[in-house]
Formats: sequence, structure tokens, C-alpha cells
Amino acid sequence: MVAALNKYRHAFLVGLQSNLVYRMNFAVRGFFSLFHLTVVFILWGAAFAGSTNIGGFDFAQTLTYFVTLLVLQFFIGAFNEDYQISEEIRNGLINQFLLKPINYFAYRFSIYLAARLVSGALIFLPLLVAWPILGGYLTFPHEWWRLALGLPAIMMSALIQFSIAYCFGMLTFWFLEIQGFVILSMAVETVLGGQMFPLDLMPAWIFNIAKFLPFFYQMYFPGAILSGRINEPAQIIQGLGIQLCWVLALLALNQLLWVRGLRRHTAVGG
Amino acid sequence: MLHYLRIWLATARYSIVRTLMFRGDFIIWSLVELLWMTVNLLLISVIYEHTKSIAGWSKYEMVLLVGTSMLIQRFLMGFFWSSIFEMGRNIRTGYFDFFLAQPGNVMFMATTRKLDPDGILNSFVAGAVVIYATHKLGLHPGVGDVALYLCMVLSGLVVHYSILVLSIAIAFWLTSAQGIEGSYFTLTEFSRLPKEAFKGVVTRVLFVWLLPVVVISNAPARLLLPRYGFDWKWAGALLVFAAAWFALAVFVFHRGLRRYSSASS
Repeated sequence: MVAALNKYRHAFLVGLQSNLVYRMNFAVRGFFSLFHLTVVFILWGAAFAGSTNIGGFDFAQTLTYFVTLLVLQFFIGAFNEDYQISEEIRNGLINQFLLKPINYFAYRFSIYLAARLVSGALIFLPLLVAWPILGGYLTFPHEWWRLALGLPAIMMSALIQFSIAYCFGMLTFWFLEIQGFVILSMAVETVLGGQMFPLDLMPAWIFNIAKFLPFFYQMYFPGAILSGRINEPAQIIQGLGIQLCWVLALLALNQLLWVRGLRRHTAVGG
Repeated sequence: MLHYLRIWLATARYSIVRTLMFRGDFIIWSLVELLWMTVNLLLISVIYEHTKSIAGWSKYEMVLLVGTSMLIQRFLMGFFWSSIFEMGRNIRTGYFDFFLAQPGNVMFMATTRKLDPDGILNSFVAGAVVIYATHKLGLHPGVGDVALYLCMVLSGLVVHYSILVLSIAIAFWLTSAQGIEGSYFTLTEFSRLPKEAFKGVVTRVLFVWLLPVVVISNAPARLLLPRYGFDWKWAGALLVFAAAWFALAVFVFHRGLRRYSSASS
């Protein structure tokens, strides 16, 4: 068991080193997200000028939600893992993993964790720069249970994020080009993951349907727990249960696509 | 002029034949653009479920603004996007030589090589959004208004084209212009906001005047709204921006071209 974990620890450390090489790229990307936050600030600021609360929350709470989501995105969002996996399949680089006692999913997940550790740490740089303006608006709730329930939600969200990216990567076994699928799915994930607007602002019946979709648990769920948009512990525990079901279902789908995909895969050359 | 039109028509023919070869790709990318446009309209729709106005703009006025912004963006996507982005890659790899040997202005040849019919198709959808918004607002623009609106949209397209060429021309100096794509999309987010929403001096100077993405979309939308109507200041500003940005793009592109040293440049 320890030996098995050791393999992935090394994959994680190598991933950490290679991602540290690209620290500037992550930092620049982080600074560019400040522009997105500026749009959020201007748009929602103008919307709140007409009413003091929208969906039961004030401007500061709404901005806190978007900042939380931004931080989560850099800590758990799948950036380009789908493309990396796709490239490895297309170029035949996965052939080496078929000959080694290594689980490809665990290997890629270790590298994903390393990459997000680097990008997650670097998002605090632009936030620090924006702090003089942003700081006064952030109002995080103080209940300790939010952290206790939020952390497992974040961990499962990371698994869902990565699993969806992994599934798209696996599609390369069937389709040469996956970029279209990825961007198509990104649009759905952006809306139903709550990145465009807090999901609780949607009409109740759509919100209730969204609760049963995996996208809800990709970003909105942990973000809403930490920023105080979901306030009932019982509701959160129920959400954690649904989230766990999605994690298991996506892991099973990953395995299925891997097994079926390998049947179609042709390894050429040495 | 006729010579360039003939070249452009040959390019268009080639792009359409290419699209017919990869029909699945065309359907997927059309859906991608359609879905992203829907996402932007959904945001407006959700916000207006909870508020009556954004910076004094009503729901359908905002739809008109977002539709106008989408229309300019779709034209850019349909006519220039792929060519300009490939230009960055070609400068890096040396494939740019190909354009130097072609019978025409290098900037024209390099930036109009490929058309994306999915973008052009979706420009009709964006146009339909604008028409729907005017219908909902009970507006009946005359032929002159429509012609002015289209002129303004084209001026906006010139500014977007120029900014994009300028960003990619960086590759002549840095050999890589990767990552520009993401930053361009961030910039277009500002074009979906009404100018009145920009309260801070810094954001107003930066996004309304220095990078005129806000003026580009706001000017044509305001033209159709009776409470604003035609304003020489806005139309003039847009024309000046279009001329200035295009001149700058031509200048920088040709300066960059002098630095181009083929493969491994």
C-alpha cells in the first residue's frame, strides 16, 4: 500500500516541479481574472443600485460568492487536463503506462493536484493586489461547521472536476478532436456550475433540477457553503450525499471509458 | 480593389469547401457559439428577474446591447478570427513565408485567409437577438437608422480586428503570442456593459476610452434607443477610434514584418 502510494507521491512531486516552471503563466492568468472580477463588480454593482438585496443577499455577499468561486477555480478547477490527456492518447504517450504497474487515472490525478496547488497558491497574488478595493466588501460567515462540511465538499468537487475532464480526454479514443466538445461542455458547466451567476437566483424549479446534476457540485456547492449562500447543515449533508453519488458514478464512467477506449487503441512503434 | 475582392472570394470558396468536408466540426462549433451566446443572454435574464434596471438600462435595452456586442464578435469570429490566430503560430514556425509569396498586401492575405462559416451563421442569430430586442422595445428604426447602425457595427469590427492584429503582431518581437485568446475574451466581457455602469475614473478611462470596447457596442445600441438617438459625438468617436486603431495596426504590423526572419524567428 505504502509502495503503491509512493509511486503517486513521486508523480505529484514531478508534477509540482513542472508546474512551478509555469508559475508565471498561472500568475498572469490569475491577474487576468481580476478583469473578470472587475466586470462582476461593475455589472452587479449596477444591478444592486436598483435594489438593496437580490435573491436575499446584498452586494457584499454576492461579491464574496464570486471571489470564493474564483479562489476555488484556481484550487480545484480542471484547466487543461482534458487536452493533456487527449494529447497523450493521440501521440501514443499512454503506451508507456500500459506497460508499467501504474494506474493512469491516479497518475494524472496526482499531477492535477500538484498543478492546482501551484495555481491555487498563485491566485492570492492578484487578490492581494486587489485587496485595498476588495477587502472592504468581503463578508464571510464565521460558523466553524462551514469549514468542516465545506472541506469534504471541496475535495469531492475536485474529484468531479477532474473526472469530467478525464472523461473528455478519454473521448480521444473515439474522436480525433475534442476541443469542440470541451468548449461546449464548458458553457454548460459555467452556467450550471454557478460561475456566471449564483444558482439560487434561477427560478426555483430550475434550481431544484440543477441540484441533481453533477455541475452543481463542481463549484457552486462548496462556494455556497463557504460564502454563506447555503445555511442549513441538514441541507448541506444531503448535498454531500448526492455529491458522493456523482463522484462514484463519474469514477465508474472513467473506468468504463478507459477499458472500452483501450480496446480501440492502437499502439504503434516502440 | 477588384483584385482583392477576387482573392477574397477564392478564400471564401475554399473555406466553404473545407467546411463541407468537416461537417461534424461545423455543427459542433456552431453549437458552441450558440450556447455561449445563450449563456450571456441567460445572465441578463436572471439578473432582471431580481432587478428592474442596470445603470438605467431596462431588460430589453440590455438585450439590445448584448446582441450588438455579440453581432460584432460573431463577425470577427466568422471573417478574421482563425486567420489572425494562425498568423501568430505561423510567425513562430516560419510558415508565414507562405503569405509573403502571395500576390497581395501581406496583412490582407494573412488576416483574411480563412473564413469560419459557423461564426457567420451565428451572426444571423445575433442579428435576430437585436431584432427581437427592438421588437420588444417597440422600436421601428428607419432605413437610415439601420444603415447607420450597420456602419457603426462595421466600425466596431474594424477596432476589434485592429486590436487583435496588434496583439498577435507581438509575435514578431516575442515569437509567441500564446494566451492572448483568453485575455481577448475577458476584454469582450466589458463590451456587454452599458457605459453608465462605469462609475470609477480608472475603469472609465481604461475600458471606455483607452481600449474602446465599451464605445464599440454602446454607440450602435444607443443609436436605436429613442432616449439617446443619433449623437455626433458617439459616431465621431467611433470613427476616430476605428481609423486610429486601424492605422496603428497597419503601422505595427509592417514594422513587425521587417523583423520577421522566417523559420525559427
